[in-house]
Amino acid sequence: MMASSVDAKYFDGQSAISQQITVVFHNTISELELRIFGGISIVWQLEDLQFERYGSLIEVRNRNFPGAILKIDDSTFIEEFYVAMKRNKRIDIHTRLLSLGFLKISAIAMGLLGLIVIAYFYVLPPVAEKSAALLPVSVDKEIGDMFMDAFLRENDIDTTKSKYLEQFASEMNLKNEKPLNFLVVKSNEVNAFAVPSGQIVVFSGVLNDMKSSDELAALLGHEASHVNQRHSIKMLCRNLAGFMVVSLLFSDVNGVMAVLADNAQQLHSLSYSRAFEQEADEQGLKILMDNKINPNGMVHLFEQLEKESKISIPKIISTHPLTAERKENMRRIIAATQYEVRANKKLELIFEQLKN
Amino acid sequence: MTLIEVMPKAEIGSRHDKKNMETSMIQDTKQTQNYRLEFFGKGSDYFAIMIVNWLLTLFTFGLYYPWARAKRLSYVYSQTSLNDDRFHFSGTGKEMFRGFIKVILFYMAIMVLFFIVLTVSESQPLAVLVLYLALFAMIPFAIHGSLRYRMSRTSYRGIRFGYRGVRKVFVQNFLKWIFFTIISFGIYGAWLQVNIRRYTHENMRYGDVELSNDASGSDYFFLMLRGYFLTAITLGIYAFRWQSEIFAFYIDHLKMNKGQQQITFRSTATGGGFFGLLFVNLLITVFTLGFGTAWADMRTQKFIFDNIKMEGDVNIDEIHQTEEEYTDAFGEDAVDFFEIDMA
Repeated sequence: MMASSVDAKYFDGQSAISQQITVVFHNTISELELRIFGGISIVWQLEDLQFERYGSLIEVRNRNFPGAILKIDDSTFIEEFYVAMKRNKRIDIHTRLLSLGFLKISAIAMGLLGLIVIAYFYVLPPVAEKSAALLPVSVDKEIGDMFMDAFLRENDIDTTKSKYLEQFASEMNLKNEKPLNFLVVKSNEVNAFAVPSGQIVVFSGVLNDMKSSDELAALLGHEASHVNQRHSIKMLCRNLAGFMVVSLLFSDVNGVMAVLADNAQQLHSLSYSRAFEQEADEQGLKILMDNKINPNGMVHLFEQLEKESKISIPKIISTHPLTAERKENMRRIIAATQYEVRANKKLELIFEQLKN
Repeated sequence: MTLIEVMPKAEIGSRHDKKNMETSMIQDTKQTQNYRLEFFGKGSDYFAIMIVNWLLTLFTFGLYYPWARAKRLSYVYSQTSLNDDRFHFSGTGKEMFRGFIKVILFYMAIMVLFFIVLTVSESQPLAVLVLYLALFAMIPFAIHGSLRYRMSRTSYRGIRFGYRGVRKVFVQNFLKWIFFTIISFGIYGAWLQVNIRRYTHENMRYGDVELSNDASGSDYFFLMLRGYFLTAITLGIYAFRWQSEIFAFYIDHLKMNKGQQQITFRSTATGGGFFGLLFVNLLITVFTLGFGTAWADMRTQKFIFDNIKMEGDVNIDEIHQTEEEYTDAFGEDAVDFFEIDMA
C-alpha cells in the first residue's frame, strides 16, 4: 500500500504558534511521519495516539509528546486513519458506541430502560419478598420496636380501653404465629395500623365510628393479617431494592432526574401496598368466617371509613387503596363463599365496654 | 507586538507633547485585536454522550463514572474555541478514578471518626459537629486540588493552563474569610466570594500569560444589596437584570497579562438575554421530563461564551509552555462528590 501524505497544522507543545507541516501516513507499519520545516521528521506510533474528530477536522495527540497537537482537515485521510486506529485498538468503547449515531444509541437506551422498568415492576417484587423471607423474625421486632418507641413518645395510650381490646382479641383466633399486642390510642383520627413486631394500634376515633363488634373483629383480622404476612418487612425490602436500582439507574443524570426517580419510587410503593392491603382484607375476611363472625362486618367497616373523607395513616406503615374498591371486593367474596355465623355475646359485651 | 516594540513608543510619549502622546495612544489602540470565543456544542451530541455514559455506568455498576465524567468534560472543552482553535481537556478516567478512590477513603475515614466520637463521648450533637467540621475543613483543600488538576488538564494550542496558588495560604485565607463571614452574620460573604475569586484567578496562568482580577468586595456587596431590593420591589422581574449584572461583575474584572501586553474581558449579557436563556431552559427541562437537560446545558454554555468579549494586544502565537502537569484528581472528585459549588 502506498503511503499517503497530507498537509497539517502542528503545535509542538512548547509554544502556541502553529506550524504548517506535511504528514506521511505509513499505514502498513502503523506510523505517522511528521515532516517539520527544516528537514526534521518525527515519528508517531499509532498505539500512542488519541484523537478527536470535528466533522472533517481531526485533532491527534500523542501521549509521549504532551501538548503536541496535529490538526488535519482531510476527510479521506480521516477515514483511513480511523480504520487504522480501530485496528490498533486505539478507539475506546465510548467512542465506538457514539459512532453508532444518535438514533441507534437512543433506541438501545430506550430498549434497556424498558427492560429495567419491566424488571423493576415484575421481577423485583417477588425477589425482594423472597429475600424478606430470609430475614430473621428478630428484624421485624427491632424495626417495629424502633417505630413504636417514637410513636409512643408522641401519643397517649388509653390503658383501660387497651385492656378491653386485648380481651376482645383473645376471644378470636387471629391465626397469628407471633404474640400480638393491642393498644388503643387517644385520637380523633379514624385510623389503625399494625407494626411488624406485633403491636396493633387502634385509634379511639375509629372505635367511636363503629356500630357493631363485627366491624372491630374485621379491623383486627385485617391488621393481624398484615403482621402474619410480614407485609412491612416485605415492603421495606422492596423499597430498599427499588432504591438501589433507581440510584444505579440515575447515577450519571442530573437532579431533576433524581427527583423524578424519587417520585417514581413513592408511586410504586403505593401500588405495591395496595396488593398487600388486598391480601390483608382477604385474609382478614377469612379470619372472620373461621371465627364464625359475620363477614359483613368488613363491609360495614369500609362503609364507616368511606364516611370519613380523610384517612390518614403513618406512611411508613401502610397506604390504603380506595375504600370503595375494597368494599366491592369484599362483597364479591362474601357472595361467593359459604359461611356460618354464630352470635358471640362475649365479643358484643367487650365491644360495648370499649364504646363507653 | 513584542515588548521591544512597546519601549520606543513609550519614549515618544515621554519626549513629545500631549498631542503626540494622543496619537501614539491611538496607534496603541489600533494594534489591539479581538479574540473570538465560540461554543459549538450541540444538545444532540451532548445527549448522545450522556446516554453512552449512562449505558456504560449501568453495565459497570457505577465504576465507569470517572470515565464518564472525563468524556463529558472533554466534550464541553473541545466544543469551545478561541480564534478557531479548540480547548482541550486531557484529564483521564483513570486519574479521576484514582481521585475518586481517595475521596471514598477520606469519606470513610471521617465516618469512622464520627462513630469513634459518638461511642467515646456518647453525645450525638458533638459527633455531628465533628463530622461537619471535618467535611467543612476539607472544602478549601478540595477547591485548591480541583483548581490545580482542572487547570493543568486544560490546554489550548498545546499550552497548558496552570494554577499556582499555595495550598497553605489559600486554606488559611479561606478559614479566615469564613470566620469573618460568620461573625459578621453573613455580611462579609460578599467579600468572601470576591476574595476567593481574586486569589484563585490571580494564581491562574495560561502558559506565560497571567490572569488577574481587580474586583472589590464592597462593589459586590452593594451590587448584591441593590439587586436584592430591586428584585423584591419589582416582584422578581429585576432578577434577570441582576443576573446579568453579577455575570458582568465576574467577567469585566478579569484580565490576562503577558508583560506589558494585556487582554481585557467584557460581558455583553443583558437581562433580556438571561430571561430568554433561563425561561427557555426551564421549558425545555420541564416538557422533556428532564431529558432535555443536555440541550439546556449547551444553550447555557453557548450563551456564556457568546457574551464574553475579549480584546487586547497579546499575540497568542508568542505564548510559551510553562506549567507543570498535575495528575492528582482528589480535589476534582471531592468537589464533584460533595457538590461544592465552584461557580
